Amino acid sequence: MREVCVIGTGLIPFGKYPDKTLAEIGWPAVKEAIVESGVPPKSIDAVYCGSALGGMLSGQRVMKSLGLTGMSIINVENACSSSSSALAEAWTAVGSGRHDVVLVVGVEKLTKFGGGTLPLENEDWEVTQGMVMPALYAMRARRYMHEYGLTARQLGEVSVKAHEHGALNPNAQIRKRVSIDEVMASRPVADPFTLWHCCPTGDGAAALVIASADVARKQKADPVRVTASEVTSGLYTNGYRDMTWAELTARGAKEAYEMAGVGPQDIDVAEIHDAFTIAELMYYEAFGFCERGHAYELLSSGATSLGGDICVNPSGGLLSRGHPVGATGAAQAVEIVRQLEGRAGAHQVEGARVGLAHATGGGIAGLDHGACSIHIFAR
Amino acid sequence: MTKSSTLVVNEAAANADTRFVAPDLVALDAKGAPRLIGGRCRKCNAVSFPRAAVCANCLSEDIETIELAHEGTLYSYSIVHQAPKGWTVPYALGYVDLPDNVRVLAHLDAPADKITVNMPMRLSVGVVGADPAGAPLLSYTFTPV
Ligand SMILES: [Zn+2]
Repeated sequence: MREVCVIGTGLIPFGKYPDKTLAEIGWPAVKEAIVESGVPPKSIDAVYCGSALGGMLSGQRVMKSLGLTGMSIINVENACSSSSSALAEAWTAVGSGRHDVVLVVGVEKLTKFGGGTLPLENEDWEVTQGMVMPALYAMRARRYMHEYGLTARQLGEVSVKAHEHGALNPNAQIRKRVSIDEVMASRPVADPFTLWHCCPTGDGAAALVIASADVARKQKADPVRVTASEVTSGLYTNGYRDMTWAELTARGAKEAYEMAGVGPQDIDVAEIHDAFTIAELMYYEAFGFCERGHAYELLSSGATSLGGDICVNPSGGLLSRGHPVGATGAAQAVEIVRQLEGRAGAHQVEGARVGLAHATGGGIAGLDHGACSIHIFAR
Repeated sequence: MTKSSTLVVNEAAANADTRFVAPDLVALDAKGAPRLIGGRCRKCNAVSFPRAAVCANCLSEDIETIELAHEGTLYSYSIVHQAPKGWTVPYALGYVDLPDNVRVLAHLDAPADKITVNMPMRLSVGVVGADPAGAPLLSYTFTPV
């Protein structure tokens, strides 16, 4: 594989756009990424569009708004990992030499479903018994609390940190600080989670222009490189599973670290999939940022806050920036690229050189999660 | 409703008086007691739930229908307050570990403050929600022993 770089990023503020179509939500992010890249729009060899619930031909609907069609457009659905899986496909397409310039877009419109928990697949037997995503994560939290003595209030501090960061991010859906008392007093969703333990649903779009190093260095002196790109799926069992350990993410992290030739101690900034508070703590452990059972200590030390050694979710993460499912992975990648380029603004992680983005999810009976995609970036 | 030599299904009860949300997962025996319907691979003995058509361990399609154990241990749980239409909230949902490496998701029939991790549970039946017309829907549940 040859070296692959990111030369353009685009992102719209996440939020609720019930009056816009999917294409109207998506095209501004694509245009921003193309303009930022400096390459002629017609030089885009292929488009990979990630959307979980956007419906047929989401990519074509977005691209035709800009009059950019005719090239290969591939639509990628992989639940919460849809646009990070699209990024992985783009990385492979450029890295293999098949294409020189590829566009990745993640776009989602969840307001079309009204409010509440997202629709799950009714063919899934656990869904027929009342499974909802908050309950799945809540059961992980309950077991983790049982095994490690974590309290619901300590868990709530993840949300406080997320909103501290998100309040500084103009593209976040919830730009509001929240106190631990407010977290605990909000309405219950799935015990031990209250509303503030759960990411909001909404709409959003993000895009990246990916290019070979040759093309990239004509545009930028020191482009951000994609040093690892991987996608894995959960391991099926109808039997017992340790729900306090994010096996899928840990397996992907190991692969990604090996590919990039780095370890957890090298990561300056990370955007990880904090769909619910417990997820962030479990992923600290899966990425090796701390030992098993010690995630709360890492959080409370301030190491994962802005100004800490390994800032996690400076954007506010899913809890604050929002989680329009299929757009999340691309938005995380945009955030990390901008962090490494030193242009993240009020939530900049000073001196960040190596960052990772992690999107995982998809509730499916018998699997930890459906999919997990991890990218490591360096400059 | 699945029939086999190891599972006696009361067809009349299953089809007329009861409306299970997922009738392929549970049956009532001759005495009206609930039984979870699983599968056991005749080639490698792997137990499946729901009963698999093809063994996820060895790909054999020679699967015997079996009745799963009636008692297990609660691995974890949550009290669900927000759910799609049709479910009666709040409800307690949990994973119950049965022997033979089978973990079953189920509604728990117990007050929230009486549920604890690792407690022993026994298979039961209960009303868990309603269909669009408002008629009650049943499913298997687990109750503290
Ligand atoms: Zn078998």
